[in-house]
Amino acid sequence: MGILRLSHVDITVTDLDLAAAYYTEVMGMLEVERDETSVYLKCWDEVDHHSLRISYAPRVGFGLMSFKVLREDDLSDLENAVGRYGLPVERVSKGASIGQGESIRFETPSGQIMELVHDVDKIGRATGSLNPAPFVEGLRGIAPPRMDHILVTAEEVGEATKFYTDVLGFRVTEQLLDGDGHQAATWMERSHSPHDLAIVGGPNGGLHHFAFWLDDWDHVRRSADILAYNGIQVDVGPTRHGITRGNTIYFFDPLGTRNEVFTGGYRPDPDFPTITWTEDNIGRAVFYYEGELNDRFMKVHT
Amino acid sequence: MAILRLSHVEIKVPDLELAVAYYTEVLGMIETAREPERVYLKCWDEHQHHSVVLTYSSSYGLAHMGWKVENREDLDHYTARLEDAGVAVKRLDGADVGVGGGSVARFETPSGHQMELIHGMEQVGNLLPLTNPPPKPLGLVGIAPPRIDHVFLTVEDVNRMTSFLQEVLDFHLTEQVMGDDGFQIATWLEVSHSSHDIALVTGPDGGLHHFAFWVDDWNDIRTASDVLAYHGVRIEINPTRHGATRGHCVYFFDPAGNRNEIFTGGYWADPDEPPITWTESEMGRALFYYDGVVNQRFLTVHS
Repeated sequence: MGILRLSHVDITVTDLDLAAAYYTEVMGMLEVERDETSVYLKCWDEVDHHSLRISYAPRVGFGLMSFKVLREDDLSDLENAVGRYGLPVERVSKGASIGQGESIRFETPSGQIMELVHDVDKIGRATGSLNPAPFVEGLRGIAPPRMDHILVTAEEVGEATKFYTDVLGFRVTEQLLDGDGHQAATWMERSHSPHDLAIVGGPNGGLHHFAFWLDDWDHVRRSADILAYNGIQVDVGPTRHGITRGNTIYFFDPLGTRNEVFTGGYRPDPDFPTITWTEDNIGRAVFYYEGELNDRFMKVHT
Repeated sequence: MAILRLSHVEIKVPDLELAVAYYTEVLGMIETAREPERVYLKCWDEHQHHSVVLTYSSSYGLAHMGWKVENREDLDHYTARLEDAGVAVKRLDGADVGVGGGSVARFETPSGHQMELIHGMEQVGNLLPLTNPPPKPLGLVGIAPPRIDHVFLTVEDVNRMTSFLQEVLDFHLTEQVMGDDGFQIATWLEVSHSSHDIALVTGPDGGLHHFAFWVDDWNDIRTASDVLAYHGVRIEINPTRHGATRGHCVYFFDPAGNRNEIFTGGYWADPDEPPITWTESEMGRALFYYDGVVNQRFLTVHS
């Protein structure tokens, strides 16, 4: 019951064709649908209609993050919970959004637009479901099997986190505390993973990055090859996180939105005890091999 | 509110010391408690008290399997559902449960397997601190998988046991091998966003085909095979890939004859995803994608 996982991310781009070329040829997503202003993309192993929507706008930005709920009833339960917290909730009726049915939308205390949806059109995995091969031949680019998580920025990380945990049922797996003992960043899950959603200090409403899942460290290496071959600006990596233990590369799409490819981590139960990182260990917490942060990673977001 | 995942398996072994030596030194599990006739083990990244219990017995095979539920109320919820389905349930708490404690609901499945739902087993922590932890401990011995992954049972009537798991316990069917006669030959089911937490194949009721440990990737499957060969453990199926679940795997036997697997890969399944179907003519590839032929020993040997 409740939120199942990240469903899709909406971003705005200033050049739709360039962005679509990057997300299909370098990232290796599949274009599912296109209208005048938007392109809908999914990863090869995803069943649902899309996990990324890119839309033309005069500036690069973050549209919304959409999370899938397990049952139809969860939408009204969570609508009530968000309403009781005091936030206005909008019902988006079936047919208003391509590829999905009814949803609810609200602005979180940290300024992001969040959507919850249950009914998403099923396109199916690219492998099919009758005697399927374990992979798909002829995919281009990195070709991650699926979207994994999103990291957003908030002025008040503690307050933002409290909303996600108390109202939406997220569970904090890890937290980075500043010298005063306040949360400087938090990692939260709903899906037996180290994180589905994370928050780091920064302006309200910001998107730090969204991440795609890879099979393993060898897939991380191949991704680095593909990024370098295509002249993509790598931000950090390949390296490892202390937090989540994941292996990772950060890089930017051609319009400046940060992407990550990610693998590894662990499998927490809902009663998992929260791991704490102290400020004096912030370098290893974020980049375990480097042991220090870079300024660009901390400051650049969309 | 649900069954979360496989919690533990209790395995019968006729030579307890030999089995403990194998599970700690070759598999690389950690001994957490010992009684005269039982030894409790966990993997390094597991927080709970145990995921494997070795029990002295004149025979081998599965004594019982435990499944972790999210809330204590889940025990009441499933007890009622089981009783409605005509299954007798025994409830135990604390010391009556045994080492590691918690609250359990025990019953026998229609396939003759002893199953329990458990909440509140003692948490002993993984081998890392909760403040500024490194990503893994150094100095682990053997294969040292981070955790147990799934269990694979033999059952006479796959259709019946699959329906029981789906309808009474809310498992989600991810894959099935359908016989030409329209009956399920084998099924894979999950409760945890994974390709499978339990699987069934046609065979005697009450049988254990294997239980599996998770490793991070294909490279770890190779390392595990090196460790097995070094220790003279008989590898039954070399590193390969499954069609069903897509996982990479290696199969071998513990000294008592219980089959073990080291597994990685697979996919993420939502609870509402329709199942993948394998036809009988493609059963070879469903089981072992590279070999593509049905391996009779693999299908008939169990414990």
